[in-house]
Amino acid sequence: MRAFLAACLFAWLGFSAAPVCAHEVRPAYLEIDQTGQATYRVIWKLPTMGDMAIHLVPHLSNGWLEQPPADQFVAPGFLVRRWDIRTTPSASLSGQTVAIEGLADTMTDVFVRVRLPRGQQTDAVIRPEQPYFRIDLANGRALGLPTFLLLGIEHILTGPDHLLFVLGLLLIVRDRWSLIKTISAFTLAHSITLAAATFGAIQLPTAMLNASIALSILFLAPEVVRAQRGGTSYTIRHPWVVAFAFGLLHGMGFASGLASLGLERSALLGALVLFNVGVELGQLAFIVLVLALLRSFRLMELRWPRPIAQSPVYVIGILGAYWTFQYGALTFGIGA
Amino acid sequence: MKLSRSPSVAPLLAAFAALVPVQAEAHILKGEAVGFVSGFLHPISGADHVIAMVAVGLWGAQLGQPAIWLLPVTFPLIMAVGGFLGLVGFPLPGSEIAIALSGVCLGAAVLLELRPPLWVAAALVGMFGLFHGYAHGSELPPGQNALLYSLGFVMATGLLHATGIAIGTVHRWPWGRIVLRGAGGVVLSGGLMFLWSALT
Amino acid sequence: MKGRLTALVVTALVLPQAAEAHLVVSGMGPLYDGISHFGLSPEDFLPVIAFGLFAGLCGKAQARWSLLAFVPSWIAGGVAAMAGVALAPMSISIVTAAIFLIVGGLLALNRALPPAWSAGVAALLGALRGLADLSGIAASAAHGLALAGMALGGFVLFALAVSITLPLQRLWMIVAARVGGSWLAALGLLLVGWVVRYGPVIH
Repeated sequence: MRAFLAACLFAWLGFSAAPVCAHEVRPAYLEIDQTGQATYRVIWKLPTMGDMAIHLVPHLSNGWLEQPPADQFVAPGFLVRRWDIRTTPSASLSGQTVAIEGLADTMTDVFVRVRLPRGQQTDAVIRPEQPYFRIDLANGRALGLPTFLLLGIEHILTGPDHLLFVLGLLLIVRDRWSLIKTISAFTLAHSITLAAATFGAIQLPTAMLNASIALSILFLAPEVVRAQRGGTSYTIRHPWVVAFAFGLLHGMGFASGLASLGLERSALLGALVLFNVGVELGQLAFIVLVLALLRSFRLMELRWPRPIAQSPVYVIGILGAYWTFQYGALTFGIGA
Repeated sequence: MKLSRSPSVAPLLAAFAALVPVQAEAHILKGEAVGFVSGFLHPISGADHVIAMVAVGLWGAQLGQPAIWLLPVTFPLIMAVGGFLGLVGFPLPGSEIAIALSGVCLGAAVLLELRPPLWVAAALVGMFGLFHGYAHGSELPPGQNALLYSLGFVMATGLLHATGIAIGTVHRWPWGRIVLRGAGGVVLSGGLMFLWSALT
Repeated sequence: MKGRLTALVVTALVLPQAAEAHLVVSGMGPLYDGISHFGLSPEDFLPVIAFGLFAGLCGKAQARWSLLAFVPSWIAGGVAAMAGVALAPMSISIVTAAIFLIVGGLLALNRALPPAWSAGVAALLGALRGLADLSGIAASAAHGLALAGMALGGFVLFALAVSITLPLQRLWMIVAARVGGSWLAALGLLLVGWVVRYGPVIH
């Protein structure tokens, strides 16, 4: 019955996965710091993957960012540009507009932080639907913590790789106790590495990390088929062990959604906790939805034909394999 | 399939979680929530309506089966007929007085624990429902989001019934019956007051 | 990557008019825009939930066939609308009110229909809703994705509504479902009055 996961999930995961080669929802980051009475420093961090970067260009309506940057370098996962601005003491940032060229064509967000000398600060998230932001220092307020909760929910719900892995686990577990153990193990493991990666204790190159995550999905598909055919294996007997081991990888993946924000350490902990809670909420919603749908099919004795019933597994396997090759190639610098 | 014998709230939660995405409300509900809220507030902002609606629930609880569920199923429909008449501008004079009278009659029925035949009770409640709906319908403001306003309106009315029925569950205990009749007395005196102000 | 970008550019280009035509913008891409559609448009989710509850009260066979009839006919209606068989705002308003009346009335009455009939009503509901939802929206790649998301949202909502009433035994819970149906029918009646007085209510 578990196999009758149905066209809906197939469609969901298939469609959300198909156009998204990379789970590239890492936001870009723009920081404007007033360093002196008439000096400003602007930092722009653009997420990159391998040698590729999305085309995003920041603009300020007073024209500061039209001059060539003072410095430009490549950090792991990022292209960083810095401008040092000298202006007159009367120039004010208030009322200026930040516009991000190219943002409307992406799925990425841009975080903007404006800091003035007396601890005054304005944060904003610019989204593709409205790719500009007017700086209003009079009514500025720090980015609310709930933003990170939403960011966490969004991060998992728009990440077909994580959802496919969770779906695979759901298809393998046999009973409720095993379900609870498996999901808890996955949650614990990815929370650990999410925290560790966010504080910089561990780090993997993005492409290699994505390849490993893809591999974990590919690994799961044959196990699901085996479980559906009544076979057994270590994974099927102890799915929570597998969930824990691969959960460690997925946690580092989650961290990519948060690490780039350039938050200060003091603010990082609260953001991390909320982001993590958001991820868990999104994951829980997905699990509840899958289980409720299965319950509904069972209640109405809906039996899907074999090809439809098995399609989720094949989607898991095919996408897992595809991503493994794609990111594997990137890891070793082939293709790109 | 052993797992997922979840209680039946789970599908609701799941539906909610799945279908209400993260930042959607900010984009869609601008201005529209106002329609829902003002529709919801409309039936509960007039005390003459409120006491009559609650009294319907109280009386239904007193009458027991099948009135207790027949009333909340049919009443919204009859009220909507009244609302329809009010919207299209059908002349129905004296609705202010009829509404105040409904408080008096329903309050008296609950106070005296009247038990007329079901059809009499249904006809009486239905007639008053028509007037209540009519009054609301002729007051419905243009320029609102019609659907959300009406939705809020219907839900508030239904919840007032549910409140009456919930209060009415004390009917199973002897002291509860007295409390219920007392509540009927409150509705009656309220109705009389509104009748007085409608007539003068 | 290129296909995705194209889809996004298309979404960005059509966004202004799409917003008018009541396509939800979730901020999470066209698929989620589609999925959230059924959660945020009362003219869609109310009748779908009500009909799901009704089909669940009717029985397993009715629930099954209705579910299977609803989604394809919704897609067919949506594709027809995008291909140019569009409804005017006035027709959409009337269709919406009529659907509320019929579906709410069925649930309030709670008389079981034979499976073929309930599947037929589900197909009609789906086709009309699909037509109304996507009227005035031209076909594009992004809309294909949004259409898939919407169909998925409708399917999930329908299945979940069925699973609420299918196992119901207690009288008061069945009554609660019927009261809901009566509310929906009342809503339909009020909308008819509104249309008569002020013109189209859904734009």
